[in-house]
Amino acid sequence: MTGTAVTLDLDGFTGIRSDLIPILQHAQDSLGYITEEAVRQISQKIRITENEIYGVATFYAQFRFEPPGEHHIQVCMGTACHVKGGQQLSVSLEYQLDAKMGETTLDGKYDLEQVACLGCCALAPVVKIDETIHSQLTVLKLRKVFDEDEES
Amino acid sequence: MTLTTDRKNKKMPKEELINLDIDGKQVTAPKGVTVHRAAEINGIDIPTLCSHKDLTPYGGCRLCIVEIEGLRGYPLSCNTTATEGMKVTTENEAIRDIRRDVLQLILSEHPSTCMVCQEKVECEHVLGGTVRKSGVTTGCRWCPNETDCELKKLVELMEIEELDYPTLYRGFEKEREDPFYDRDYNLCILCGRCVRMCQEVRGTAILEFNYRGPHATIGPAFGRSHLEAGCEFCGACVAVCPTGTLYEKASKWDGTPDFQVVSTCPYCAIGCQLDLRIKDGRFSSAVASHDEVVNDAQACLKGSFCLGEVSHHFTRARKPMAKEGNYWREKTWDEAFDIAVEKLKDLVPGDFAMLVSPDMTNEGLYASQKFTRMVMGTNAIDSTARRSLSGRLGLWADLFSRPISIRGIGNASRILVIGLDTRFNFSIIGVEIRKAMQKGGKLVAIDPRENNLARYSDLWIQPNPGYEGNLLKALAGTGADLESGASEAGIDPELLKEAKEIIESGDDLTVILGPGVFHYSSVNKLIEGITAFASKDNTTILPLYTGTNARGAMEMGTFPELLPGAVSRDHSETIEIFEKKWGGKLASDRGITVDQITSGAKKPKVLYLAGAVPFFEKPDCDFLIVQDIYEPDFECDLYLPASSFLESAGTLTNLEGRVQEVVRVEELRDSVRYGRARPDWWIFSQLAKKLGADGFDYEYVTEIQREIADVVPGFPEPDKIDREARVTETPGTVSIPEAVGNPGKAGDGKFILVLHPEGYTHRGISITSRVEGLQILNPENGFYISQADADSLGVEEGDILLVKADTAVGKAKARIEKVLPEGVIYLFVPDSLGGVGGRKDLDNLYRLERNPVRVEVTKSVL
Repeated sequence: MTGTAVTLDLDGFTGIRSDLIPILQHAQDSLGYITEEAVRQISQKIRITENEIYGVATFYAQFRFEPPGEHHIQVCMGTACHVKGGQQLSVSLEYQLDAKMGETTLDGKYDLEQVACLGCCALAPVVKIDETIHSQLTVLKLRKVFDEDEES
Repeated sequence: MTLTTDRKNKKMPKEELINLDIDGKQVTAPKGVTVHRAAEINGIDIPTLCSHKDLTPYGGCRLCIVEIEGLRGYPLSCNTTATEGMKVTTENEAIRDIRRDVLQLILSEHPSTCMVCQEKVECEHVLGGTVRKSGVTTGCRWCPNETDCELKKLVELMEIEELDYPTLYRGFEKEREDPFYDRDYNLCILCGRCVRMCQEVRGTAILEFNYRGPHATIGPAFGRSHLEAGCEFCGACVAVCPTGTLYEKASKWDGTPDFQVVSTCPYCAIGCQLDLRIKDGRFSSAVASHDEVVNDAQACLKGSFCLGEVSHHFTRARKPMAKEGNYWREKTWDEAFDIAVEKLKDLVPGDFAMLVSPDMTNEGLYASQKFTRMVMGTNAIDSTARRSLSGRLGLWADLFSRPISIRGIGNASRILVIGLDTRFNFSIIGVEIRKAMQKGGKLVAIDPRENNLARYSDLWIQPNPGYEGNLLKALAGTGADLESGASEAGIDPELLKEAKEIIESGDDLTVILGPGVFHYSSVNKLIEGITAFASKDNTTILPLYTGTNARGAMEMGTFPELLPGAVSRDHSETIEIFEKKWGGKLASDRGITVDQITSGAKKPKVLYLAGAVPFFEKPDCDFLIVQDIYEPDFECDLYLPASSFLESAGTLTNLEGRVQEVVRVEELRDSVRYGRARPDWWIFSQLAKKLGADGFDYEYVTEIQREIADVVPGFPEPDKIDREARVTETPGTVSIPEAVGNPGKAGDGKFILVLHPEGYTHRGISITSRVEGLQILNPENGFYISQADADSLGVEEGDILLVKADTAVGKAKARIEKVLPEGVIYLFVPDSLGGVGGRKDLDNLYRLERNPVRVEVTKSVL
């Protein structure tokens, strides 16, 4: 999580307190994620401490503090998927990829995210990798998906 | 020059009261308070874990639910505003049931076996503490907060004996890497008191909720330590924590204190009131007192965490010692006095000089000057307060003759702060400024360095160092003055115009002057600025200085030119009064000042250092007497152990002129282990008696207080210490001289060196040298240099810098600060040089006559 020295362009903002969330969104859009350096710059711009900014940013699921991976994995934790074992899928993914939810794998290939509902409850439990939805998964099936991906 | 405003007389809007009915009791409360506070004021207890009188309503713990007639359900008393005629029920069966359930839910994420254990009673009363046989996950094995725990008190109140919910242990690692306090977030119930305290009251915002829901934690951004995040270590979060999550390291395992007493902090001129907690006859910890007059439950790191170690340190010297040939021998008091009498008895004026510390109590200071004047027959008494009160005593006599109010800042509508950082020093001032800002006040900060106030100021002006006084003078003047002031200070005149607009737009103005600005060679300009502002309506000047009791030192007359009452030595009427009261002739010599001794201009045969150690090496004299709580770093001939602020009673005068008590909390036990330390006034009076002098028959500190009250106008009698703010009004006070100070040589070189007083000394020693936590922070050590300059010099943090001003050369570590202006380096100068032996290389720079001065900076190759 080292901050890159990319300077944020904050000219469009007036520097008032209520600008915080728009600025954070702007930072994430232009940098891909919220860097330590970005937080420092925002802190200087709107004169709120870095700690407060971090507190606000971590509250919202939309902000990430890790560079995004090559592939984006979303594990559904909606009611149906939860009942059908979404939690087990999450845990097994964390083991398999050696990264926690919200983090990116060390090689930068995958990033993990838990989402509330993907809207295809009939297919539960589901995991979405990039734009592909893998349905009615079990831990073994999920492993297979990744093994095939590795081979190809 | 007279001041037209007295904030105390200013009409404050009268508090409106409302009537309400709580549990069938007719009560009144101020308008606008919450139901919870209304009940609290009237002595009705509503259980809570998150509400606090100084913090905004939060409604986190849900324990303070009540029934209010006309409101649906069970509203929270802590965030419902009390209104006229409200009918509140604070307790019935239904409320009790809900509260019990809520508390159980809180306990399900808190190790709780210590609270619901079957053997709890036996454990506490028979064994005097928990046996801690339960595991970490279910018990409070790491929690020191055994009897102070608010959670535990509520569990007892609500008679919860078993838990219906499973326990979740969050498994966080204990955070022990920061100085002064430990954190164990496994015990945290997320009440948010520390977060709100840090943000709302302190304005620091180091602590913040991170993440949310079941993942919520508390801490600084990106998992940084408090040290990295810029914590003030004021201890306010520790004081409000209802559990054992935040706990002071030093007193962690001391157990429940036996009792606590209110005393005055001995470390700076604010004079915060502290609750000193005593366990087994020994000081355990200090917490800022809920004091209405000065500090209102806030303190700084020195008051909260640095008392015990300075008084209890293993290097404390508690026995009289004397040099015998080559040996350094322990003596009894009688033997020590005999040695002193032998050396002191036949001295003529000029042979003897005494230097006293401004950290001593008024009683010690008074006795020291009476001893020098009446027993030694000379005015050769001086105080290192002369350095704290830099810019000549006349200026300070003038400043002290106006009303000064610390709590007044909180109601100010416009505040101008010059050269002040309230992170570690004077942090109460920062809290008050914050209060004023929350009420809509506006703040203008002038400082070349970014300080912790600049962040939330309305305007921050960054002049060239040394020109702060010029800006003050310019701000008091008209358009042309602004132009010239701005160009001198190297800033945009528009900024200064904006500043003037801001400070003139309010009903009143408070000008706060940091200690550094009085140490500049250009102090003349500052004085002109102060004079101009002081003559304006509704303007208050608040000058800050290092040296706890420097104002007291002035009032007690521990300067050659001042008699007690801060009256000039040449004032014939006063001399008559004193000669009558003291029963003897007053000396008429010019005395010897601290600067004359340090520069070697005067060489007294016998030098008596009472708490003041302005030398790195033994000064040139035949016989050196040191009276202090620690032995000096160099050899002396006679050492007299003084008792510390915990071991002796007395009074200190704060910067507002309040005479406040220091309470003795530890007995002086004469023994091999505890030594034979004695209060300063006792040592002076005993020595005087041995020298055959009259008028020193003091047996108790109150006797000396009574005498001071008799000769110093406005000083309270011992049984009437009311802590009223006073002004020092005296006839024939030393007047402000036309030209002040020696500007010295400008020097040459690319860099500007700023010498800034540091404020981490107590009596003869550096507090840092005795307090482990401060050694980690070590804010006063080294040269502060900007990142850009460090890069251009190829210097990294911790490299040795060589700073050369003319002939003076100094060496110290580089400390890189991102926000410092380029081409400026800061050096902090201690008031006393004891315990800072590692800084001997800086002695020449400390003595520089000019400040700021141009210097050459190079990286030292060693």
